[in-house]
Amino acid sequence: MHPGVSPIVEVEDLHVHFGEARAVDGASLRVMPGEVLALVGESGSGKTTLIRAIQGLQKATSGTVRVEGKSQAIFHDPAVQMVFQDPTGALNPRQTVYEVVAEGLRIRKDRGDELEMVKNALSQAGLRPAERFLPLYPHEISGGQRQRVVIAGAMVMEPRVLLADEPVASLDASIRGEILGLMRHLVDDTGLAILAVTHDLGLAWNIADRVAVMYLGRIVETGPTEEILDDPKHPYTKALLSVVPETREMEQQILKGEIPDPSRVPSGCRFHPRCPLLQSGALPEDVAARCVDDDPGPVALDAVRAAACWPAMATADRSDGGRAE
Amino acid sequence: MTTSLAMQRRRATAGRMWKQFRSSRQGLLGLGVLLLFVAMALAAPLLADVRELNPVFARAQGHPQWAPPAEFGPLGTDYIRRSVWAQFVWGSRVSLFVGLAATVLTIFIGSVVGIVSGFLGGRTDGVLMRFTEWFLVIPFLPLAIVLASILGRSVWNIIFVIGITSWPGTARLLRAQVLTVKQRLFVDRARSLGASGWHIVSRHILPNVSGLILANATLAVPISILTETTLSFLGLGDPASASWGKTLEEAFVNGAMIRNAWWYFLPAGLGILAVVLAFTLIGRTLEEIANPRLSGER
Amino acid sequence: MSEPLLSVRDLSVTYHTKGGPVPAVRGVSFDLEKGGSLGLAGESGCGKSTLAGALLRLLPEGTDVEGQVTLDGKDVLTLNPGGLRAVRWTAGAIVFQGALHALNPVQTIGQQISEPMLVHKTVKGEKEAKTRTESLLGRVGLPASRAGAYPHQLSGGQRQRVLIAMALACDPLLLIADEPTTALDLMVQAQVLSLLSELKEERDLTLMFITHDLSVLTYACQRLAVMYAGRIIEEGPGREVFADAAHPYTRGLAAAFPTIGDMSSRLAPKGLGGDPPTPGNLPGGCPFHPRCPLARQECLPEEPELRPAGGGRSAACILV
Repeated sequence: MHPGVSPIVEVEDLHVHFGEARAVDGASLRVMPGEVLALVGESGSGKTTLIRAIQGLQKATSGTVRVEGKSQAIFHDPAVQMVFQDPTGALNPRQTVYEVVAEGLRIRKDRGDELEMVKNALSQAGLRPAERFLPLYPHEISGGQRQRVVIAGAMVMEPRVLLADEPVASLDASIRGEILGLMRHLVDDTGLAILAVTHDLGLAWNIADRVAVMYLGRIVETGPTEEILDDPKHPYTKALLSVVPETREMEQQILKGEIPDPSRVPSGCRFHPRCPLLQSGALPEDVAARCVDDDPGPVALDAVRAAACWPAMATADRSDGGRAE
Repeated sequence: MTTSLAMQRRRATAGRMWKQFRSSRQGLLGLGVLLLFVAMALAAPLLADVRELNPVFARAQGHPQWAPPAEFGPLGTDYIRRSVWAQFVWGSRVSLFVGLAATVLTIFIGSVVGIVSGFLGGRTDGVLMRFTEWFLVIPFLPLAIVLASILGRSVWNIIFVIGITSWPGTARLLRAQVLTVKQRLFVDRARSLGASGWHIVSRHILPNVSGLILANATLAVPISILTETTLSFLGLGDPASASWGKTLEEAFVNGAMIRNAWWYFLPAGLGILAVVLAFTLIGRTLEEIANPRLSGER
Repeated sequence: MSEPLLSVRDLSVTYHTKGGPVPAVRGVSFDLEKGGSLGLAGESGCGKSTLAGALLRLLPEGTDVEGQVTLDGKDVLTLNPGGLRAVRWTAGAIVFQGALHALNPVQTIGQQISEPMLVHKTVKGEKEAKTRTESLLGRVGLPASRAGAYPHQLSGGQRQRVLIAMALACDPLLLIADEPTTALDLMVQAQVLSLLSELKEERDLTLMFITHDLSVLTYACQRLAVMYAGRIIEEGPGREVFADAAHPYTRGLAAAFPTIGDMSSRLAPKGLGGDPPTPGNLPGGCPFHPRCPLARQECLPEEPELRPAGGGRSAACILV
């Protein structure tokens, strides 16, 4: 990465437990300035809880979240802004576009030309001419435009990082490209960082520099997008990739069952009950035993390319002659 | 410039709502009837001499007793020679005033409790809801009678009694709505922008429950009026006031039914009916505007 | 040459709303052979869900439906209520999106699966219904013991399987799946698609798959039709249509689902500008022209008809 540059967001050993349910169970990750990190996972992986904890909408049970090096229990740092999955739900039907975008400024009691800032943010988000949109209500604009308004509302705060929760999942397919393009543009133009939570690997391919795969509360694999999507090391990542229709011919590995309940995390490697590699019987006995009994632990905070998987780590050790991380 | 933009949009929205209201026949009917009675109440001094309410004056004027309208217009006289028309006109003032004031009290207490309870949740919600339920469980009429007896019989006490006993319904309704609005994504968004509780309640919760408050208020007024009528009829009303309820009470107690002196009790009764109906029609129309699915649209 | 199982000719559906008539479907025609599979792709407002509803006359009262729908030899649109009931669920059944509101929250899933069997009298009584229900649950990958569960106790993927079991309750000839994988996770989606594919093979089902996710259809369907603004604007063999679309809209739609490993889409998201049109508010001429990168004068004033585009495909574009 870039030596000497410090991360915008650092999540270290975060735990968010709801009673017995361990929604986030020791997750660590890092987002560098100017980088797009795709946090990939299915529902039940804890990805939404993680992102809400970073934003400050959810209290963490333990662990730290640092933004620009500063650690706080609950955040409302304007450097971190959110983009939501459902742009229609995220807008108060009784507020005009102007009021929506200006809301953050007003909460912060920003001294500045509010009108100018709102217009600039709307233009930046691709809504031009901005004046046309100011007096409109959410029901008067399209889904894609609503998401742009949400983005404008975030950009007006001049954030250093955007947390995007499934930013295009509720939008029509033909306009996804535009919104994703806008997001990538903002990164290239302003040095913004983006942490995009998604289950869509195509989105990661489209805009992410790095990918972190989440399973049952932990990051199980991380690395640069091309490496992860071309040559995944963790069996879960491999399985996900194999069922994505858009992947270049790969044999489908459809896992059985669903992600276990977060209050009943399996022993050893939490993926082992569903692991196709383990079930294939191709693993040497001692490795297979480790998978069942020993927890490989989460991927480390400073890992550049890592997978929390005993067979993968064993292979890496052998091929490298040393530790892969 | 920006506030004027917002003002423009608000005015446009208000205009649209008015147009919708106008297109509803029941709404217009209700509004018309209400305005008629309000006009009558306001113009009372011009329509009837207030001195006519005083039995001594009536006697001095030499009015007949129990005179039907044919004999003494426009609505005849009662058992102590007072003009029924004067009682009708001046009574409307009290009934409407008490109805409105009691409703304001009900809505105010109910909204505050409902919104605070729904928004804060947790222990506050628990305590407030137990408190609310306590009031709901107590039978209304005995409570009203007891309170009226303790506090004494005056217009203000009646308003207080009605307010105190009616707010729980509003509180529960509003709390449920607040719980729903609280879950909406735009509240999360406001929180993520760093909004304080006050900002969320005033900018997001209130505008999205105001329609419910208005509809509820409009339907609460007739209930307040009827309650006042009931209390007055039971003799708990202000002896000095001339409300319609009071008129009905006096008519009943003094044998107007037996004498068939319809001109004494019918106007007050019909007046109450008309005003209650007017508010109900307006309230229903407002509800339909706020929630188009109620009117059977797709 | 046997008759197609499902034959649709010039189907048009117009809703009547407070704002005037809204033409959701405007003259759709296609055939579906017995044992075949057709994928219908389109975005919001294109009319695909309306089309699905129209096939079994499940649209609200007062909706205008014109044209012809022939299912298993019977003209669905002109059947009397008795005939219609007989066709529904036994000849053609729909699998809806597995959202909580597609299932009755106060009935167990066992009851809901048994219901069509009892209503259509395809079983001799409650006991047989129970046996068949349990066997269906097993077939869709759920333990028979779950028959007593309520919808809210199941996950999204499980609910979707229940809906599939319900649709199969009376052994229909045609299965129409309306957005069966939307809102499901990647792995669960794959499980459901795989299940549908197996069931199709086992029971020689004819499948019609409706979705906005074009990429999902490439596996599942022999033929693919793309809808836009109430009409089919491209049609042909599944792989060909996706890999090398003739219509600019289909090309734009396909580009929105990048092939992982394809460097041309790396850090280069592709999409179409503008928004899909709303049914009541169509632009003149070709409804796609305002968003089309290849639009020209000749795209107005008339809407192009479907014309052959080589390789068994047809597309409604003047450039074909």
